[in-house]
Amino acid sequence: MPDAPTILERPQRWDVAFDTNMTDEDVNRLLFTAPFSQMDVEKFPKRTPLREIIRNDMRILKFRKGEIIMRQGDYGTSAFLILQGAARVVLKPDLSPSLLGRQATGKKGVFRTLAQLWNRSRAPEVLPRSILGQSSGVSARQDENATRVFLQDVPRILDQHRTAEMTAGEFFGEIAALSRMARTSTIFVDSDDAELLEIRWQGLRDLMKSDDALRTHINKIYRERALASYLRATPLFKNLSKEQLDRVAEAVEFATFGDYDWSGEYKRLAQSGSVRPEKEPVIVGQGDYPNGIVLLRAGFARVSQKFGGGERTLNYIGAGQIFGLNEIAHNWRNEDATVNMQFSLRAIGYTHLLIVPTRVMEEIVLPSLPKSELPPPVEKAADDLDFSPPETATREKVGAEILEFLTENRFFNGTATMVIDLDRCTRCDDCVRACASTHDNNPRFLRHGPTAGRLMIANACMHCADPVCMIGCPTGAIHRESFAGQVVINPATCIGCKSCFTNCPYDAIRMVEARDERGEFLVDQEMKPIAKATKCDLCVENHGGPSCERACPHGALTRMNLNNLDALSKWLKL
Amino acid sequence: MTRFRRQLYLGLFALLAATAGALWLNAKYSTLANYAFLTGWALLAGMFILTIYNVRKKLPFLPLGKSETWLQIHIYLGFFTTLLFLIHLKFRLPHGWFEITLAWLFVLVSGSGMVGLFFSRVLPRRLATRGGEVIFEKIPAVRHAAKTAAEELALGKDAKSPVIAEFYAKRLAGFFSGPKHFWLHLAESRRAASALIAELEDLRRFAAEADREKIEKLAGLVRQKDGLDYHRALQLALKLWLFVHIPLTYGLMIFTLLHIVLVFGFSGGAR
Repeated sequence: MPDAPTILERPQRWDVAFDTNMTDEDVNRLLFTAPFSQMDVEKFPKRTPLREIIRNDMRILKFRKGEIIMRQGDYGTSAFLILQGAARVVLKPDLSPSLLGRQATGKKGVFRTLAQLWNRSRAPEVLPRSILGQSSGVSARQDENATRVFLQDVPRILDQHRTAEMTAGEFFGEIAALSRMARTSTIFVDSDDAELLEIRWQGLRDLMKSDDALRTHINKIYRERALASYLRATPLFKNLSKEQLDRVAEAVEFATFGDYDWSGEYKRLAQSGSVRPEKEPVIVGQGDYPNGIVLLRAGFARVSQKFGGGERTLNYIGAGQIFGLNEIAHNWRNEDATVNMQFSLRAIGYTHLLIVPTRVMEEIVLPSLPKSELPPPVEKAADDLDFSPPETATREKVGAEILEFLTENRFFNGTATMVIDLDRCTRCDDCVRACASTHDNNPRFLRHGPTAGRLMIANACMHCADPVCMIGCPTGAIHRESFAGQVVINPATCIGCKSCFTNCPYDAIRMVEARDERGEFLVDQEMKPIAKATKCDLCVENHGGPSCERACPHGALTRMNLNNLDALSKWLKL
Repeated sequence: MTRFRRQLYLGLFALLAATAGALWLNAKYSTLANYAFLTGWALLAGMFILTIYNVRKKLPFLPLGKSETWLQIHIYLGFFTTLLFLIHLKFRLPHGWFEITLAWLFVLVSGSGMVGLFFSRVLPRRLATRGGEVIFEKIPAVRHAAKTAAEELALGKDAKSPVIAEFYAKRLAGFFSGPKHFWLHLAESRRAASALIAELEDLRRFAAEADREKIEKLAGLVRQKDGLDYHRALQLALKLWLFVHIPLTYGLMIFTLLHIVLVFGFSGGAR
């Protein structure tokens, strides 16, 4: 007799509230507070009424003076509304990394480099006092729900930095939350007590759907703060005058697809073996009328083509790349022989994108491009099975198996992925030994991982373009290096909460029990060992680049941006 | 051109060029009074550069260039010093136990290096083609798990077939007891595992319906164990040659230094 299926209640949108302590009293109070008091409850769908959005997607937080609400460079998933008190946004100059709880890293000097010969610890995971006692200018305090980091000397910061005050009723953090990009400013509390409302992105998205005023407000500040500079930096619009660019900006539409918390969902799907392109949200469907070009602002999307009963991946595109230009340019030049979209575009994980409507493209953008920069005409319609489109060139470069492997496992997210060519790797472990030598006898990766043919992606931090590990770090210990952008962890401010460890979809972060210089475990007042998150830091402090790559005698290991398949194809053919 | 072919052609070209150059120099200068002195010191310099590659490996945190570049230099220089060694010997066999030992050390170091080079270029591709990648140190644990699973199938409390139990005791217990068929795997022969699988297939054909599934699972475990043995054999070969190459290199360097002392102490310098 076959095993009986496990029957569960179907998961619902609000199975897990943002804060289970939200009371009816809190919800009622917020319903009478602006901007919620000005919203028309009738406009909200029955499935997502305003009251339930407030109850399930929001939480009230109390802060004390000096406590940091958000740090510049952090990745956050929520926006904030000041209910009581005041906050300050740091304008210029930015706060130093140490004031934000980050490690002030730099290349090691000659002596420190050579000292690694005799200074290595015998015990694993030793954290010397010099690191633990790092003067940071910030301290952490623990309340019943969370760990808060506060600035120790607010008056000095106000003296040395230009800041702006924000008071009750003001919103902040909404752009970074919706577009999944790094926070652009640091904001801290500047009144003795402050009450803030934190709204997670799902709630913000639903509020925007139903409330015109909030949507208009957020779109307006998005256009003002982020869009103009982004469009200016996009090569496609380089020939436009300021007026033309303003017109384009005015017409741009914003959209988000996929699951913001994709890493958790992806882990679940990967474990059940049900990651399938057909299940990914469709941004543009094959055969659709071309409504506009799609500019990816954040996240990744899969370009696919119908093949048999399913979809085959032709390529994937990431932030800064464009989809749909070929068809729109073709139709603009061949009014009598127009074509529909040749391929599908599907969101992988979470995707934030901009759409420039066809009308604007035809009237403003395409006429500004010289003929040589226009894409070649679309040769044949996509329903011809014998047709091999130019996009398949990418597929052919690295091979179908490797392309599907990289896409299914979301490895294109890595900007410095450890790629091993098993045809060349002699399994000598020189890379592991080099890593250990460079990190006080502690290797920071495993020379093992998923494989496809001759390619292995080792369990090493990939320094992702979309670093989900950084979302939710309470102290900012895991952060991007300011210059080269490596994702690093400051052991001094890591509190061992496992947030990054749980979030990482690639199992590249490990929790270790730290020891002192005598090799004894570091313990807290309750005699429990103190855990720290560790991972590959891409040898950020060492000269010459990652030691694993330099140590490989056979050139079998490289650190590579897997969003560049040309580089991968070239390396594999070397 | 693939990387393998490029390296092969470059290596052959370097070897030919070095041979031609060395033979030409040998023909032109071998009549010089201090020719042995010249070739001896050149040989020592070459051997020194070859030896310090291991020092580079111990200092990965210093910006001393890529190990890959060092290895290529190590290979070309290795071929060249072998040639220089023959010239230094004047293409004659050495005399006396000391010089014979020194020559043997050189031959063993060079030979193990060439074996290592061959293994490094050939075995990784074979491992990748076979698949089932496993870390060398984890092989015993995975093998033990396979053995436990096989024992459970054949001899466990749910095992009710005396035929399977007997077959396990006679044919499989030894196979699962530890690593097997090192040389066969190195020679890319699957003879041993194929024979076992064929015997299991015979057993399955005549087994009761209830036992057939167990026999198929046993065959799967035999394949898994064979794969582990294959990985162990090839990965071990990729490591073992270094256990010859490196210790003997230090022995060779010590004998070489003694050789220099003896030459200067008892011969009044090289002639």
